[in-house]
Amino acid sequence: MTPFEIGLISVVAMVAMIYLGVYIPIALGLVSFVTIWVLRGSFELPLALLKIAVSDSVTEYSFATIPLFTFMGLIVARAGLGEDVYRVMNTLFHRILGGVGMATVGANALFAAVTGSSIASASVFTKVAVPEMMKLNYNKRFAVGVVAGSSVLGMIIPPSAMLIIYAIVAEQSVGHMFLAGLIPGLMLAVAYIATIWGMSKARPAYVVRTGAGQRDSETLLSGAEMLLLCLPLASLVLLVLGGIYTGWLTPVEAGAAGAALGLALALFRRRIDLRGFWTALLETGHITAAILFLITAASIYSRMLGIAGIPNALADFLDTYQLGFAAVMVMLVVLMLFLGTLLDTASIILIVVPLFLPIVEPLGVSLVWFGIIVVIGAEIGLLTPPLGISCFVIKSTINDPNVSLKDVFMGALPFAAVMLLVLVILIEFPILSTALLP
Amino acid sequence: MVGLAQLANAAGTLVVLGLVLLINADVLSRNLLNAPFRGAYEMVQFLMVMIVYLQLPDVVRINRLTRSDGFLAIMADRRPGIARIFARIIDSASSILMGLIAWAIWPEFLRSWSDGAYFGTPGIFTAPYWPIHLVIFFSATLCALIFATKAISGKRRPELLHLEESGT
Repeated sequence: MTPFEIGLISVVAMVAMIYLGVYIPIALGLVSFVTIWVLRGSFELPLALLKIAVSDSVTEYSFATIPLFTFMGLIVARAGLGEDVYRVMNTLFHRILGGVGMATVGANALFAAVTGSSIASASVFTKVAVPEMMKLNYNKRFAVGVVAGSSVLGMIIPPSAMLIIYAIVAEQSVGHMFLAGLIPGLMLAVAYIATIWGMSKARPAYVVRTGAGQRDSETLLSGAEMLLLCLPLASLVLLVLGGIYTGWLTPVEAGAAGAALGLALALFRRRIDLRGFWTALLETGHITAAILFLITAASIYSRMLGIAGIPNALADFLDTYQLGFAAVMVMLVVLMLFLGTLLDTASIILIVVPLFLPIVEPLGVSLVWFGIIVVIGAEIGLLTPPLGISCFVIKSTINDPNVSLKDVFMGALPFAAVMLLVLVILIEFPILSTALLP
Repeated sequence: MVGLAQLANAAGTLVVLGLVLLINADVLSRNLLNAPFRGAYEMVQFLMVMIVYLQLPDVVRINRLTRSDGFLAIMADRRPGIARIFARIIDSASSILMGLIAWAIWPEFLRSWSDGAYFGTPGIFTAPYWPIHLVIFFSATLCALIFATKAISGKRRPELLHLEESGT
């Protein structure tokens, strides 16, 4: 067998193992270890590579963004900022049919600018937006679908853990990735709002069941109240994104400063006690360790691919059959959708990027743009059955037997379709991702 | 062993706090006092290793290591016996990989301990490598043992991915 065939078999074996339930970093590490051993016929080489991967791939300065932004997101979620912007958005959209849905999307987009996780967004907005929509007689599928769909904004609009992970594996600047994510994220939010508007015009029965409940005007806010409620969030966005954009703070420093300001806000509003603080730190540590161990394992996997010559062989294959850039993109998107049915976003990025980066790089395209494509493509998997993580979080957070997991998936499906559409537009027009780069 | 994992976890959690404080202190001191911290950069690298490897055993212990267990969950309902065998095989394989990591890093620790290898820039800030290698060895060994325990006891029913991560 040629090294290429061995490599290919090992990639397939790895995906199969992951589907069977092997821990993803273990599958990546173990398969790569055995493959390198077989390819080179030496036990010492994979052992040496393992040693390098565990000790060197973690000592990277920009990795510190992961715990810092995770901590900031957890603290901000506890501080109740999500609920506040939701109330503001609700006032803005209250006259329109489907307005609560639009408000959820808008609030999610703003909240996403201070948190890097779709999971956090999904759980916060399930608690505030779903009960509100149910009260106003909205269709349950529509209600949960909106929350699921808009939760993905959390991982696209910077700061985002997934943009950081891509930046690390593709050796791009975290700051550039953040800037690049801004326009696509806002585009997606606008596309969602337009979809909701279209739904409420075309099929009002899907949005609101008969006799839409009238909202009591007590929940509406005055202009001054809206400003006051937006202030904490605006100051955080200004500090973090403004700091990075102007170059005053590195992404790592922006994460630390944001975490400190978020903590100050939570303390000021008396929303956090010592116990909550410790839990947030603990959670941060767990998430960081899980993600970085995954990155470590992915670095061994990426070396294995290189040793087996897979990326080169793929490039040759494309060359022989005169398959151009479009074919690469179709392959990429299809592969990500396939993996997205069972894997989480970070794993998809870590599996796909080492395969495709060596193919895409010589084509002279912007690797920042490529990152946005990969992150959004991988995020579609959050919404698709059988294992859309956002949907699971929503189901477990609402804890209402009347809403089945199927309802959540069916409700999220139109939004997954919109995401795919936006993805195609972003592939077609790279300028949308690169416009803000210095 | 559980206690050890939790102890390391608590230490790792304190390191997260330390990281937040360190970088903020650096930003403040640089902007207000015009005096950047020496070696903040290297310190951050050092702390990252500590966070990851001190937390890892606890992540393994509470089943938070990333996995996709849709298949295992379905099997656990239909063929609980087979699902349990699968889970045992997976945990054994995981134990082997963590053992390999421990085995690979041990000679590295012995070397950096005896020759005093360091990282950073001499004259500005340097830190020895051996604590890094030691914490990796400790962490990988502990993970291997925890996985082995899971493989032997095999009583855990696979739960759904990431559900605990929903926060509050």
